[in-house]
Amino acid sequence: MESSILDSLGVEIIGVMAPVSICMFLVVLLTYSLSVTSDPQIRTAANLIYLENPSDSATVKLEGSIENAIVFVVLVAAVTFILVLLFYYNFTKFLKHYMRFSAFFVLGTMGGAIFLSIIQHFSIPVDSITCSILLFNFTILGTMSVFAGGIPIVLRQCYMVVMGIVVAAWFTKLPEWTTWFILVALALYDLVAVLAPGGPLKLLVELASSRDEELPAMVYEARPTISSGNQGGNRGSTLRVLVGGGGGGGGVSDSTSVELQAVRNHDTNQHGRGNSHNMDYNAIAVRDTDNVDGNGDGNRDGVERSPLVASPISSEHSTAEVGMRGNVETVTDEEMSPLVELMGWGDNNSEEPRDLEESLNRGIKLGLGDFIFYSVLVGRAAMYDLMTVYACYLAIISGLGCTLILLSVYNRALPALPISIMLGVVFYFLTRLLMEPFVVGMTTNLMMF
Amino acid sequence: MTVAAGIGYALVALGPSLSLFVSVISRKPFLILTVLSSTLLWLVSLIILSGLWRPFLPLKANVWWPYALLVVTSVCFQEALRFMFWKVYKRLEDVLDSFADRISRPRLFLTDKLLIALAGGLGHGVAHAVFFCLSLLTPAFGPATFYVEKCSKVPFFLVSAIIALAFVTIHTFSMVIAFEGYAKGNKVDQVIVPVIHLAAGMLTLVNFASEGCVVGVPLLYVVASLTLVHCGKMVWQRLLESRNQSSGSQ
Repeated sequence: MESSILDSLGVEIIGVMAPVSICMFLVVLLTYSLSVTSDPQIRTAANLIYLENPSDSATVKLEGSIENAIVFVVLVAAVTFILVLLFYYNFTKFLKHYMRFSAFFVLGTMGGAIFLSIIQHFSIPVDSITCSILLFNFTILGTMSVFAGGIPIVLRQCYMVVMGIVVAAWFTKLPEWTTWFILVALALYDLVAVLAPGGPLKLLVELASSRDEELPAMVYEARPTISSGNQGGNRGSTLRVLVGGGGGGGGVSDSTSVELQAVRNHDTNQHGRGNSHNMDYNAIAVRDTDNVDGNGDGNRDGVERSPLVASPISSEHSTAEVGMRGNVETVTDEEMSPLVELMGWGDNNSEEPRDLEESLNRGIKLGLGDFIFYSVLVGRAAMYDLMTVYACYLAIISGLGCTLILLSVYNRALPALPISIMLGVVFYFLTRLLMEPFVVGMTTNLMMF
Repeated sequence: MTVAAGIGYALVALGPSLSLFVSVISRKPFLILTVLSSTLLWLVSLIILSGLWRPFLPLKANVWWPYALLVVTSVCFQEALRFMFWKVYKRLEDVLDSFADRISRPRLFLTDKLLIALAGGLGHGVAHAVFFCLSLLTPAFGPATFYVEKCSKVPFFLVSAIIALAFVTIHTFSMVIAFEGYAKGNKVDQVIVPVIHLAAGMLTLVNFASEGCVVGVPLLYVVASLTLVHCGKMVWQRLLESRNQSSGSQ
């Protein structure tokens, strides 16, 4: 019996939503279990001007938080512009090393601090030498997984999520008012930076795509490896329900597939340069793609075999694209463009967001910043009550869904923060102000419906 | 120990739906999306309802009729929303069918439609359990428990988890009944769903009497199992019919 179209629809969307959900869930767990031990105030780029004090009046808090938010956004914008400039003048290598350094720094220091507090809180018996060796190994592996070849994509995805968790857990220590204003300000900034002409992230994405280069940024790539487990589906994509068709082919990394595709294949990994030649051609590839991901140099020689063989290495900088001819469908596993994320680590951290871009024949990328700020919102909600957590989670996920649908309509880089954050904030306050008294009043009398 | 108790309560309420989710829903991404959107719809309906009732809260704890009114309005509102959900689903089904035609694959099978209805119902049920039971569980992870006066024999968290389980069952399977009823134009199935929902809501009012939960909760489970049996019978019949049709047409 032929499989129904239901099997394959929405793989891509779930491929992005799953890691975001995992990230948010773990941040909520962290804030829940560590909320007692976490130190009261931290000083970061996000509250340079004003340190919130619970006893301050509402006006003081309001002004202070707005100032904090403005300063933070300005910092983020400045760092982004610097990154764009560096990228424009081809300091790609420097940028990559910088990203590696940031990853090392984040995992080593901030991650280390979080591990320490976990160890203290649960009284895990570990001696300091073992702990530091473990931490060092963990950090080094994470650093290598950023912009490096030969690392399984799953590992990179895991480390992206871990970094998101670490930074988000750190940000949840910000005072309440400042957190809300910073989230809203960042969502607005994201909107401008990605959509406005001359916005830094827009410039960056355009620059990268015009040069066929990988974005020098921390980006989560959704690939079907993550959705392993359902095989036999074809890869129709929900995003393209209204546009394209679905070819045959198995779910994940091993499948036999028949595809008719326009392939663009850049192989870059050999040249440290980050880009090189690419070839465009159409190929009818009938192949068995076992183990696509393990196959490091698959697409170097891969003229004939290219479409599915975007190996992690090369697709890291290269974007193997699978175009569509006729209505032949694109392979979900191609990743591509960017939900961009850049991180600029100021003194402590000032990262910046993300945006979500995608084009018709590309997979989905989500910037690390999106992970972080979604999780910050949920983590902040977790400090109030579980009910707000669920409401915010649903709001954020549905916002992400809306963004993904818009993505398939507009086919260009889109900011992933605004819709989600706005929905999240609105739902948080609605839940807190309206729903909680209602639900609590009902359930304590054991009324339900 | 208390953590174990908290997790236990959560699993009492959501365990069956969790296994349903893992074994059936999570295989198909589209169904996960359906669950999510139906959960969101239920949340929105709850927020709107609480917005409407907010001016009248808190209700007096010793008068029962405002609660009855509240339950009736909420059920009516949610049933109206269920009908809208059906309308949206209908359009979605058309889109999916035409999409399937275009890529020359089979249209949605009967089982697919039933699965989508199940996912929609599961979303409603999970949302119910999450907001009425799970979100109040936070204190259960702490070193104490909580009893309400009117049901003094059982911890509050356990009662609410048990009630939530009944409602999860009712919501999940009444959605399947409702969708089939709408699709076939079967008046009985269309009417029975709001009736079940209303009856279940009204039965919780029994808890209002002192020690009423001893009677109310078993009655609720009777309703839940009736829903389950009716749904099972209906689906079985439909599957037999469609098998006969397909073998007849060959």
